[in-house]
Amino acid sequence: MMRGSSRYRQMCVTYPLLVLISLIGLLPFYWMVACSFKTNENMFLMPLQWFPHPINWHAYGDAWKAQDFTRYFLNTTFIAVAITFGNLLLGSLAGYSLSKFRYFGRGVLFLLILSTMMLPLEVTMVPLFLIVKKFGWPNTYEGLIVPFVVDGFGVFLMRQYLKGIPNELIEAARIDGASELRIYWQIVMPLCKPALAALGVFTFREAWDMYIWPLIIVTKDSLRTLPLGISLFMSNFGTSWDQLMAVAAIGTLPMVLLFFFLQRSFIQGIAISGLKE
Amino acid sequence: MSASGSTQSRSLRKLFGLSISEKQALFAYAIILPTLAIIVIFRFLPMLQAFYISLHEYDLIRPPTFIWFRNFIDLVQDPLFLQSARVSAIYVVFSCVPVWVLSLALAALFNREIRAKNFFRSASFMPVVMPAVVNAVVWTFMYHQDGVVNTILAWFGIDPIPWLRSSKWALWAVILIGIWRATPYYMVIFLAGLQAIPQRYYEAAQIDGASSWNQFRHITLPLLKPTTLLVMVMSVIVAMKVFAVPLIMTGGGPADATRVLPLFIYQTAFEFFKMGRAAAMSVFLFAAVMIFTIFQIRLFSRGED
Repeated sequence: MMRGSSRYRQMCVTYPLLVLISLIGLLPFYWMVACSFKTNENMFLMPLQWFPHPINWHAYGDAWKAQDFTRYFLNTTFIAVAITFGNLLLGSLAGYSLSKFRYFGRGVLFLLILSTMMLPLEVTMVPLFLIVKKFGWPNTYEGLIVPFVVDGFGVFLMRQYLKGIPNELIEAARIDGASELRIYWQIVMPLCKPALAALGVFTFREAWDMYIWPLIIVTKDSLRTLPLGISLFMSNFGTSWDQLMAVAAIGTLPMVLLFFFLQRSFIQGIAISGLKE
Repeated sequence: MSASGSTQSRSLRKLFGLSISEKQALFAYAIILPTLAIIVIFRFLPMLQAFYISLHEYDLIRPPTFIWFRNFIDLVQDPLFLQSARVSAIYVVFSCVPVWVLSLALAALFNREIRAKNFFRSASFMPVVMPAVVNAVVWTFMYHQDGVVNTILAWFGIDPIPWLRSSKWALWAVILIGIWRATPYYMVIFLAGLQAIPQRYYEAAQIDGASSWNQFRHITLPLLKPTTLLVMVMSVIVAMKVFAVPLIMTGGGPADATRVLPLFIYQTAFEFFKMGRAAAMSVFLFAAVMIFTIFQIRLFSRGED
């Protein structure tokens, strides 16, 4: 009887609740896509149109022509890929160094890297801009990529993961005469695949999202990233909502694909960002 | 324990005048060097420089002049800065507390046996997938006077709310989005924490006849304490950094109602070119973040070795 009543309660409370939560999560996505196919006359029609009718097929093409979104899209892709690979390579190297070797100053170095982990860019943006300006990097890909090519979080994550890899494997390879670099690349890296995947997806998402930094150092149109392009498009007088929703949908699509195809790593990256071990 | 330094390797023949363990240490230094260079130049140095610049007046054109603590004194007397700090504080408190409760509740919900769990979990996770700028654009559209949010509210007999046009409502509109986007993120972290709790504790409690509330209260919450603390710290730091959404949705207005600290720093530095002033504000923000970071490093290091 107890079981029966709790089943019943689950049916009547849990599922409606889950449906409601899912709707709240999905509504902005649905609304973005639906309204990108609405005509502008019908955008705020009362009562509200839940399905676009008639369908407006022009928003995507028109928006794409209004600004150089192809360029923005390629810029963001290139920058995000570069930052991701940088983090995977440098983060795993540094993590390997910190977890599997003993040397003078290791503890201090780890603490130094750790201390910058939660340092928000919003705190350092003024001096960081001055430094990057000194390098002559405003309006360059270097300026957009190099400061973020490695991050404390990646080092920390890789170090923690590598600590769990048995030293015997590395020692055995050394006895076989493998060079240190080869041990890293052919023995250690393959064992880190889950951690690398999680870090990679996490970093790519963050890089795709980057806004404040490009806003500060990019003024040339040819270097604009997608988030910059979208926000500029919005602030332009006379931009119509259907076109704005169309660009927003295109900007979201890569993240949605990433989530669906690499769901495990996507979720793992976030779960790990909250683990203390 | 360590990879090197055993008596065996120390007695091995030397190569190029270096022992094996010295060679290994050299390799270890070499592979951490690029990371170290990047972190020192682009994270650590700017952190120190922020303090230095905050003691100067600097407009990017004329050379900086040293003015002691003038910037700080000006700031604490500047009503705009105080307003901005107040907005940030309100944002942090009222976006974080609901996020803690909701994300834990959601995690507890998804930790149970549910049919079609993967579908519901993915659906509720979707806000994390939406890029910040898109988030701001789409919600601006949804908050429109005749938009979808007011339409849904009208079903419940609530009059249209002038979300982004009223200084009374704008900050709440921004806070609601913050909650919408952050909740699933921390849900994932809580879920990982929940799944680490051994099932046998609950089984034992069930044999003793403990109600599910008591199980939650006396097993889940105490064992979830480290995760909870971590979520609290992380979410507060993330909330202190909120920038894209208020900038795009309201530009800080109306009547400064949504000008959070990072936004004010950005505008002071890159619209009014008062670098010293902006750096002084960063120092304030830094102090606030630092308190939480120190707290967090302690949490992290507790799990060491």
